[in-house]
Amino acid sequence: MSTISNSVESSGTPRSFIVRWLQGAWSFFRQLAKQPLSLIGTLIVALFFLLAALGPFIAPYDFDEVIRDDTNSIVTREAPSLSHPFGTDRRGYDVFSRVIWGAREIITLPGIATAISVTLGAIIGMTIGYYGGWVDEVVSRALDSLLSIPALVLALVMLGIAGPTDIGIIAVVVLLYTPIVTRVIRSATLGVRSLGYVEAARLRGESTTYILFREILPSVLPALAVEAALRFSYAIFLTASLGFLGLGVQPPSPDWGRMVAEARGEFTRTPWTLWYPTLAIATLVIGVNLMADGLRRIFRYEGSTV
Amino acid sequence: MFLNIRHLTGRSGISRIMFTSLIVLILSVLAISVTAQDDGGTLIVGLPSVETLDPALGTNDPEVLFNGQIYDRLIDVLPDGTLAPNLAQDWTISEDGLTYTFNLVEGVTFHDGSPFTAADVVFTFNRLVELESSAVGLLGEFTVEAIDDTTVQFVVPQINADFLYGIASRFASILKDGTTEPNVIAEGDAPYANFNGTGPFVLSDYSPGESAIFTANENYWIEGQPTLDAVEFLFIGDSQARVDALSSGVVDFIFKITSSELATLGGQDGIVITQQATNQHPLVRIRADEGALGEDPRILQAFRLTTNRQELLDVVQEGLGVVGNNNPLGPKYGDFYVDVSEDVYDPEAACALILEATGEERISSDFYVSLDFANYGDLGLALRDQWSQGCIDVEVIERDPGIYYGDGEWLEVDLGITGWGDRPVPSYFVEAFIEGAPFNETHFADEEVASLVAQANQTVDTATRRDLYTQIAEIFEERGPVIVPWFSSVVGAYSDNVEGLVMAPFPGSTDFRTVSVTTD
Repeated sequence: MSTISNSVESSGTPRSFIVRWLQGAWSFFRQLAKQPLSLIGTLIVALFFLLAALGPFIAPYDFDEVIRDDTNSIVTREAPSLSHPFGTDRRGYDVFSRVIWGAREIITLPGIATAISVTLGAIIGMTIGYYGGWVDEVVSRALDSLLSIPALVLALVMLGIAGPTDIGIIAVVVLLYTPIVTRVIRSATLGVRSLGYVEAARLRGESTTYILFREILPSVLPALAVEAALRFSYAIFLTASLGFLGLGVQPPSPDWGRMVAEARGEFTRTPWTLWYPTLAIATLVIGVNLMADGLRRIFRYEGSTV
Repeated sequence: MFLNIRHLTGRSGISRIMFTSLIVLILSVLAISVTAQDDGGTLIVGLPSVETLDPALGTNDPEVLFNGQIYDRLIDVLPDGTLAPNLAQDWTISEDGLTYTFNLVEGVTFHDGSPFTAADVVFTFNRLVELESSAVGLLGEFTVEAIDDTTVQFVVPQINADFLYGIASRFASILKDGTTEPNVIAEGDAPYANFNGTGPFVLSDYSPGESAIFTANENYWIEGQPTLDAVEFLFIGDSQARVDALSSGVVDFIFKITSSELATLGGQDGIVITQQATNQHPLVRIRADEGALGEDPRILQAFRLTTNRQELLDVVQEGLGVVGNNNPLGPKYGDFYVDVSEDVYDPEAACALILEATGEERISSDFYVSLDFANYGDLGLALRDQWSQGCIDVEVIERDPGIYYGDGEWLEVDLGITGWGDRPVPSYFVEAFIEGAPFNETHFADEEVASLVAQANQTVDTATRRDLYTQIAEIFEERGPVIVPWFSSVVGAYSDNVEGLVMAPFPGSTDFRTVSVTTD
């Protein structure tokens, strides 16, 4: 027993944890580098995260700053130029600045919502997968009933009632995606709960929390990582769609979906106001999907079909 | 140069015959062409689909335009807002202003051949009351009776300055006495028997949601009218598709074009753009009751000082209208419009007033913007920008009109934009600022205004009414809780082969009786 305790202690020091994490990350990137498309996807996502973090320092104007010329007249509908690389829109906003600021918006909300969904989904999925029986039955059926409602319809109803707020959007995404993550993690848990090391932990008298988080979680982590990337991609798309439908955040917030909706009617006059936010949404979603595909290959995980 | 003229004028008999035949052919073609130009032609209108076809209830442009082809009214409202006789050739008002006597045109028949009489008028107006038509809002209380076949008399319990506009209301199409199902397609050989009016056109084909064809009424009571052979409606739901239909020559006339759509039509050959001033306006309203944002007139003044209306009209409305003022009556009302606004833009003075009124350097508020029109969202943001320079910070909250008006939110919020449509008479707008009025969204309670509005509603004399409206405008200028950024123009477009078309400020009321379409 003393040998086992020493081993656990030595592997649990912060230093060894960091070293192992760095080794894992390096190994991961080496494998990712073998798949060029996934690498490109990851770099795209990294770029957008960078934009989200540094946006205010990069964007030449505030997202709600009305551009005025020397005569104090508003500069509306100006085509892309050196001073305004993506042009200005009909209200005199600089489109380049709004796209940059919008990266923060489109990553923050879906990012927070995905993190909550994945955390909740992992906990619920592991719990019902581990316990099985009537707990599994009741929770699974309840989640199935939620899954049967079309995502956009549920989102429209919820936001229509509660009003379009940041918290409302996060709640919608969490409610929609937690059941999906739960189902995937439950399925992965079912595959490992009867394996020897889980059985051994149970016989050692470890607590359920220990078994779930120290024995089962590492085994389902690949599935969780792939699922998180996929959910993030869908959450971006859903948030942009809600913005497009006018149920996203309120103006003048630089929401890409809203920007697309607002530019739609102006397409023949100011096509640039439509091009850039559309391109940004497409690029980010493709990037996240390529990254998720890479994760799936690295972890040799087939993924959910939900 | 491929054809040598000498071949045509040569001495050979065959050549002469060919030449003569060619000349005859050319002359024939020219003759046919001239005949076609003399024809009234067919006017094809692109418009949204009609919904409620009962003339007493159909309120939107397509429905009113549909009924305007089939039915007549006693009095017409002309595009300049004045009244003109129609089925009522003249009328008299008693000295006490309570009795209106109309003399009807004789010899008028409905499409089914039956004669038009005073009984039809009595039936029509009693039916408006029965169905609680919106026309009753203008008519108020009244009784109506037929004196004889060509004379009808209305009696009102108190003077109603807008009564004649009620008679001319777009809901007051004259129906045949005893009509039970107006504008309902019947089964059998005569499907359009219920579309029975005295109007200039007869409905000859109707496919709901697709098209309607009206052919000229050969027995129309005005000699020489209608000049058109037919009017055809093509129901096109999407407004951009209507613009495209006009561009491609599929339709001849469309209306209610947005500024963006207008930009796509601008400069296109063969298209005529027409505008009409209306009193349609976005109303920036600030609640003025105790404890509300606009309780202190200095705050109201600060909002005005930091609102640049010319910029809003130029940038947001793209110039389609006229600069507004500080009361809800625009230049459309001619005699009753008084521009007392000084229209000064001075954000620094606004900041000073706010400091003086509140002791704070800046104030903030939620700002509800009902998206009645496509550019109201932009208006909200433009105001946010302008007001921020005048030390007023607002958070724009966009609202779907169905929710905003349906839930009564518009009557409660401190600061918001409400879309007010055009109306034939000014009283409708100022009545909303009387304490207890159902649409008093600002909770403005000014006894002087209430008294002046009541007097204006009971005064028939134009000069006196103008004086009353001037006083109302001055009070609004001093302490009124509203800002009108602009009064909109309604924009229409038609092909240049259409002649005699004068679009009404309410486009559904456009009169096609003297319109003609020349063919190429």
